[in-house]
Amino acid sequence: MPTPDSSLGVRELTARAGSFVLGPLTLEVPANRVLVILGPSGSGKTTLLNVIAGLRSSLAGRVDLAGQDITGLPPESRRIGMVFQDGALFPHLTVRENILFGPRAARLPGTTTAEGLLGQLGITRLADRAPRTLSGGERQRVALARALAIQPRLLLLDEPLSALDQPTREEMRGQLRQLLAEQCIPAIHVTHNRDEAFTLADDLAIIAAGTIRQVGNAREVAAQPADSVAAKLLGWTELGTGVQEHGRVRIGDLTLTAPETSTGSGSVEVYYRSEDVILHRADRRLSLPGGLITSIQQVDMTVPLARIRLATTPAISVLTLHREIRTENLEPGSEVIATMPPPSIRIFPSEFAQT
Amino acid sequence: MSWVSQILARPRTPGQGPARVRARRWPSSSFDAVTWLLGGLLLAFIVLPLIRLAATSSISNLHQAAASAQVRDATLLSLQAAAITAGIATLFGVPLAYLLARHSFRGRGVIQALVDLPLVVPHTVAGIALLFLLGRTGWIGGPAGHIGVSFYGSQWGIVAAMLFVSCPFAVNSARVAFEAIDPRLEQAARSLGATPWHAFRRITVPLGLRGILTGAVLVYARSISEFGAVVIIAYYPATAPVEIYNLFLQSGLTQSAAAAVVLLIVVLATFLVLRTLATGRLLARIDRAYS
Repeated sequence: MPTPDSSLGVRELTARAGSFVLGPLTLEVPANRVLVILGPSGSGKTTLLNVIAGLRSSLAGRVDLAGQDITGLPPESRRIGMVFQDGALFPHLTVRENILFGPRAARLPGTTTAEGLLGQLGITRLADRAPRTLSGGERQRVALARALAIQPRLLLLDEPLSALDQPTREEMRGQLRQLLAEQCIPAIHVTHNRDEAFTLADDLAIIAAGTIRQVGNAREVAAQPADSVAAKLLGWTELGTGVQEHGRVRIGDLTLTAPETSTGSGSVEVYYRSEDVILHRADRRLSLPGGLITSIQQVDMTVPLARIRLATTPAISVLTLHREIRTENLEPGSEVIATMPPPSIRIFPSEFAQT
Repeated sequence: MSWVSQILARPRTPGQGPARVRARRWPSSSFDAVTWLLGGLLLAFIVLPLIRLAATSSISNLHQAAASAQVRDATLLSLQAAAITAGIATLFGVPLAYLLARHSFRGRGVIQALVDLPLVVPHTVAGIALLFLLGRTGWIGGPAGHIGVSFYGSQWGIVAAMLFVSCPFAVNSARVAFEAIDPRLEQAARSLGATPWHAFRRITVPLGLRGILTGAVLVYARSISEFGAVVIIAYYPATAPVEIYNLFLQSGLTQSAAAAVVLLIVVLATFLVLRTLATGRLLARIDRAYS
């Protein structure tokens, strides 16, 4: 049973993969918490997991697990369960043999654990099947069971759901969330999918170009991205580059009230949350504090949210419920009042935004 | 109901054109015709000399050749030396193949070129070079002689010559097989507690077994047919190809042809058996895994 200090600590870690340099980066994952690392392809997510698992050596820094410095340990001595993108199941072994591989290699008593995991993940009926006969979701369940069979001290998940189709991914997301909650060990899940990140994360780290741009409680990070890279990854929409002075930001024909957190002056990049913009028909409300009177240029009935493009410069994009479109009778050419709540606007100095 | 009418009776999915069954023509185009013609000519060039050779020898001649102690000893020596060579080439070739498949390091291209070198060195040249190295006064042959191991005119010399000319097949075949294995399978094994040895034995070798065994069979086949390098380092004891050459020089075409047919039958039989084992039942499970 993991002790309360069975956390993962990564300190000033640096690694190289060809010409790509990872770090230096520092992370802390307490036991019983899931850290999701969100980043675009090629940002170093997999390299980081490989270094933590011992599959790639680091140039500098250290990795501590459960109070033990594991930086120099070979992967087989770390007891870190890893789930790969497409499962990486051993094709010449059956499902049961795949799950028992770890316990046998590490000389752990594994048969009872394997049968328990097969039941827990609902794959008992697959036990004697070959991996090639499994669906994507089944394959990932087997990969999870295989990683958990060694009773790992840490679980690393390398985009395990990204190769799955949408319905299977959503189903697996829920199952994975429940499974991770039941484990009393730290877990790191890397992904480029923000829905997946928000579903699974206790804590969220944003990685780009080999460095951690922001880390913290998932809700806080989502609400307050630290820079434009984080904002884009977290689903904020870029409005453009403007000028900030005296608590206001001028951008094109628009003048926005800067959030209280954003002080100073000069060139800034402005981001906003499209789904937080409130729209009302101008002829139904006489006035709204801070509201912008404009018209609708285009309505795209995308799902699950419809996208409305306003005739502003620069154009504001609004995500809204289909029901709102019907009740407010929003259609191209309609005069509307658009309101953007200050917490839904983020402003970053241009020079940092470019880095 | 014939299969054609069964297809015609099968319900069509919407959007497909009218039901149409076109008889398969073979070859179906002029391109196919030309490729079959040219390929067929080459196949004929391979098969016709062998048929002509087999037709030359009467049953009594073959019986006489097979009963000859010289031919029998030479054939057994060839089989034995080729089998030993296949074992040695696999033992040393597989680790080198793994290094080349899994590691990128400075000089990797040079090492790969060195592996392929025996394929371009004329075999008589290889024999002379080996003689300098393994002969009684050679770098290795000299010290080996002091402990009673002689390569010149011995079975070990024959194996050395066979190994030199055939080892690229063992390395390259295993390398290609290893390159086709997803490296993450080995990484997964390591993360599950397997040492590098354990991961290699339980994951890499089973998955690369087809390539390894194919390499061994190719080494065997190349070794048993070797003449140029062997005849220089070990004219005696004579392997089958050397013995046939001797018969050709001493007794003429007819006598040597009978011995040649005997050797051909033995070589083809062993090759087919080994090839079937290497690509057949032994690997059926891996084939299923990858299919």
